[in-house]
Amino acid sequence: MAIKRADFPLPDVDDERTAPFFAAAARGELAVPRCDTCGSLAWYPMDECDRCDGTSFTWTPVDGHGTLFSWAVVRRPFLPAFAELVPFVTGLVVLDVNPRVRMVSYVVDCEPERLVADQPVEVVFRPLRFPTVPDREVVVPMFSAAPRS
Amino acid sequence: MLEERDWGRASDLESIDGQAAIAGIGETAYTKASGRTATEIGAEAAERAIADAGLEPSDIDGLTYSGAFADFDVAAFHAHFGTSHEMWSSPWGGGMAWAATAPYLAARAITSGRARHVLNVFPVAWATQRSSMTGGPGETHATQPLKQNLEVPFGWFPQPVYFATIARRHMIEFGTTPEQLGAVALAARRHANLNPAAVMHGRPMTMDDYLSSPVLADPVKLLDCCLISDGGAAYVTTSLERARDLPRPAAVVAGVGEARLTGRNGHWSQQRDFTSTPQVLSAPAAFAMAGVTPADIDVLTVYDPFTIVSLMQIEDMGFCPKGEAGRFVEGDTLFHDAGKLPFNTHGGLLSHAYVLGIAHVVEVVKQLRGSAPAQVPGAEIGVYGGYTGAMASTLVLRKDR
Repeated sequence: MAIKRADFPLPDVDDERTAPFFAAAARGELAVPRCDTCGSLAWYPMDECDRCDGTSFTWTPVDGHGTLFSWAVVRRPFLPAFAELVPFVTGLVVLDVNPRVRMVSYVVDCEPERLVADQPVEVVFRPLRFPTVPDREVVVPMFSAAPRS
Repeated sequence: MLEERDWGRASDLESIDGQAAIAGIGETAYTKASGRTATEIGAEAAERAIADAGLEPSDIDGLTYSGAFADFDVAAFHAHFGTSHEMWSSPWGGGMAWAATAPYLAARAITSGRARHVLNVFPVAWATQRSSMTGGPGETHATQPLKQNLEVPFGWFPQPVYFATIARRHMIEFGTTPEQLGAVALAARRHANLNPAAVMHGRPMTMDDYLSSPVLADPVKLLDCCLISDGGAAYVTTSLERARDLPRPAAVVAGVGEARLTGRNGHWSQQRDFTSTPQVLSAPAAFAMAGVTPADIDVLTVYDPFTIVSLMQIEDMGFCPKGEAGRFVEGDTLFHDAGKLPFNTHGGLLSHAYVLGIAHVVEVVKQLRGSAPAQVPGAEIGVYGGYTGAMASTLVLRKDR
């Protein structure tokens, strides 16, 4: 059951469930599905809204400010792709626009030891590259711990 | 009675209190990489459980096993024992959360006349298989498209990273300290050192050892994590009446509960109540079925892949108020002979073996028989708390009177 996709662990930008997320990131936008029935943001992208029975969604750009909910400072590379990236900070960010949207990403522009709970963070769009996947990169949202605004 | 939260719900189970009992247990050696297949390990555990129950393979007319890791199913049973009889079976058994709920399936099959002696088996050979897996035991997670695209690329993978993030939030919300997580690891190691079958037997650990162990994903250290092991175990469930005719003392199935996270909450990253497990919903249902309260429990084993998972389940099962498990487990609370809550008395996934919970159930049976290496004096009611993340389960066993 080992994963065969040659560009793993880069995201599969063609996977239809998440393709709009990465397409938006490439344009410098943070996008989240909004339920067409009740209007609430629904994260993760799944078949049903968790607020109503809605099953159709429109990917909508949202403001990228949020707070740092929790994080891990990864020191051991759990995949060969991470060998040259450790130590790095990955965590969960709660967006100001709707606290039910909790996003997983890298926390950047920080000294890991100085991060504090619920501190403000702001989305930045940066290329994700892994030494194990030469000549490929995907622009993704990351969260800067040094917000500009 | 059944509680519901906006993030999960308990299953509505019929009461089976007193209908069935575990009459036989069997275990293989617990080791690092053995070179054996899980099917071989499962067959050995099955043989030993059947013999312990005083039965023959041809008496076993029901089998529960793991559908997700189907290493010992009906075909494997017949191939090993050279039998061909009809068997009732279910793939919703085996280890993890299902090690607690398999006796429920068995009790239902027995009372409805579909089976008389039901074997539940769970073998694992992950220590042997590890090098061929992507991210070790994280592999099954990495294959899920949402995780593969929204978590793995962002370094939020595998389990030590999830539980580091959960542990940090538990620290933020409740003031939980590294030393309190260490108390869980130390109790497990203390018990493993009393249990010659434990992989970490003969490897004492101090708080300094714990605190100075390598950080994998801060705040998770190496010694917060379970082992990776080969091994397996099995148990035979039959009617209480039948169990009383068999040679071993019956461990009566008194209560079973299970609860699942719903919708997006099934992803650790999206669980609304980030520092809670579905034990909040499962344990009260099982305790109600058995007619017990947390204060009645003499010995507790819980699925403990990481120290924080033990803390969360201890509080979610009601042994202390939510958020206070860190302070609760300090000192000797979890010790088999002196503690308020004898806990993972075989050593758990942390220090006994990573056989995904099946040995936890076997340990509870041993405790009620009075034959555990780290025996809790006078243990009469024992509980196993199972956990997979998206599901938790609870099994209450009672010594037959």
